Amino acid sequence: MFETFLDTFSLFGQQLVNGITLGSVYALIAVGYTMVYGVIQLINFAHGEVYMMGAFFSFTMVTAFGVNFWVAFPVTIVLCSILGILLDVVAYRPLRKAPRLAALITAIGMSLFLQNLALIIWGSQIKAFPRPTLPTVFFEAAVTMGDIIITWLQVFILLVATLMMAGLHTIIHHTKVGTAMRAIAQDKVTASLMGINVNRVISFTFAIGSAMGGVAGILVGIYYNAIWPTMGYIAGIKAFAAAVLGGIGSVPGAMLGGGVLGMAEVMGAGYISSAYRDGIAYAVMILVIIFKPSGLLGRSTLKKV
Amino acid sequence: MKGRVLFLAVVLTLVAFVLSAHAAEVVKIPVASPFTGQLASFGEGVKNGAFLKAEEVNKAGGIDGKNVEIVLGDELCDPKEAANVATKFAADSGVSIVVGHLCSSATLAALPIYKEAKLPAISPASTNPTIGKSSPYYFRNVYMDDFQGSFLARYIKEVKGWQKVAIFYETNDYSIGLMKAFKAEALKLRVRILGEEAYTNETTDFTPQLTKFRAMKPDALFIPGYAPQATLIVSQAAKLGMKVGYFGADGLDDAMMLENPDADGLFVTTPFLADNPDASEEAKAFVKSYNEKYGKDPNWFAANTYDAVGLAVQAIKAVGADRDKVRDYLAGMNSPDKAYMGVTGATYFDENGDVIKGAFIKAIQGGKWVSAEKQL
Repeated sequence: MFETFLDTFSLFGQQLVNGITLGSVYALIAVGYTMVYGVIQLINFAHGEVYMMGAFFSFTMVTAFGVNFWVAFPVTIVLCSILGILLDVVAYRPLRKAPRLAALITAIGMSLFLQNLALIIWGSQIKAFPRPTLPTVFFEAAVTMGDIIITWLQVFILLVATLMMAGLHTIIHHTKVGTAMRAIAQDKVTASLMGINVNRVISFTFAIGSAMGGVAGILVGIYYNAIWPTMGYIAGIKAFAAAVLGGIGSVPGAMLGGGVLGMAEVMGAGYISSAYRDGIAYAVMILVIIFKPSGLLGRSTLKKV
Repeated sequence: MKGRVLFLAVVLTLVAFVLSAHAAEVVKIPVASPFTGQLASFGEGVKNGAFLKAEEVNKAGGIDGKNVEIVLGDELCDPKEAANVATKFAADSGVSIVVGHLCSSATLAALPIYKEAKLPAISPASTNPTIGKSSPYYFRNVYMDDFQGSFLARYIKEVKGWQKVAIFYETNDYSIGLMKAFKAEALKLRVRILGEEAYTNETTDFTPQLTKFRAMKPDALFIPGYAPQATLIVSQAAKLGMKVGYFGADGLDDAMMLENPDADGLFVTTPFLADNPDASEEAKAFVKSYNEKYGKDPNWFAANTYDAVGLAVQAIKAVGADRDKVRDYLAGMNSPDKAYMGVTGATYFDENGDVIKGAFIKAIQGGKWVSAEKQL
């Protein structure tokens, strides 16, 4: 009797760990969506591809150039930020005053472009980080509680996600550029009249969001041992769902949404039906949207007539 | 102006004449398979096997002096793409037989299109049992999953002595067919199936299901899927501290598995062994010429496709490029004395267009495929 209880408990505990890991990754990607949306009301569909590029950048560095992982990690962050700024400058800035639909379609175009670029450069097959290129400590158990195992990699993922979110919070609420971001989110025209360089602040938003997406790409690439050019599509859709679930435009909402979605997926697969895990995750999202259309932490916007 | 029109007409006629003369000189044999995408490495074997056979046929004089031309149709193992590729081949009157497809789901999507067009097709690799029964125009040069699944069940019971197995399958026709066949035989042999979980081919996170499997404490995990997911499953299971045996079927027979240190000990069924000491002279010659051309051993996709193209060539040689005659010719190869002698053994069809062929077991040892000591 006691043993079955212990088994049930360790099963649940391990699923909890799995869910938190997946949720942290979704949250990291979702933040990128929600930040850009919050500032310029654009759903940047190319964000999933930035995530994919992040994985490939670090993969190429450690395999083709023999760079140490701990060097490749920050360099990837920088490269992804640059990619984000490029996306904004090339694709979205010229359309700043165009109808929103034009920018949205451009975003889909950029997504397809980056996906195919990756296909040309790296080929269509699934790649994996060779084990010797990664710190061995990643694969050792940090915590072993009965059957529950938490590896250092999982600790690292959670730590990086938490630190990046905390950093982001500080940037948004306690720095000048963060104040400028919030000002632009409220009213672009007035903000520019107050002397804010709108384009520069928007580029900065893209840089931060893309950096987080890129980090998520590396973490997932290592954790699941798989990188391929279309990996950004599914992850992007999931993270977008997480952002909507949390309330699009709200950064804490994206974190919460990512966590909820990751947990729903893992628990759905673990306890209900593994064949329908994505369906279960989306069903949770739809239920939330039905009862709270603005998302968990989104502010409902009242239109004055 | 008039002169120019006349000139153009003459040129066009000439071009048409040259083209049709050229078209008459070759016999097109389309080969449909995934050549890009996740399963591109399976398709590579198919492509290599087909080109090698065509080259040899052409060197020996082709079909009545006409060269065989292999036309590749890339369908990514995606049923939707397979239907597109099949429609294209069906509409081409120069095509009298198709070699393909590879994935069972792709074959099942293409099947009604070939049936409608009365175009015979021979699959070198699709093992789902329902294929042959569904169309009189479909043949295959590979064993079926009811054989493969029950073979595996007997092997793990009799050779490995395993009593408790969990199944982790993909939601496609190949994987489900294999799982059902395995379960049916396992039940008879009193091997306990502790549980079964599913995944889709877009999944990268297998930890929730593996966590469940871990709690069931099986002797082994059966993965009746394809290599790109199986390699992830094995790695993620290792991270969860699972210490069980792993086995799968021919869908895991890919070099990709060898790069994974966690996959050591995993074994699979395969229709063809390149290092089989009991192989026929034909098979040994094939392995040698394949090595000369491509610098590596042929996998089973290459061997089965090599024979499938050989069958197609023999049929066209015998009855010409008429679709119905080719079908009837193949259907007529229904007894051992009418068999086609290929590198994968004697091939003859039953009333469904299916073949009876043996299976081999090979395992990963130190980053290499090694034929299992004990075969069944």
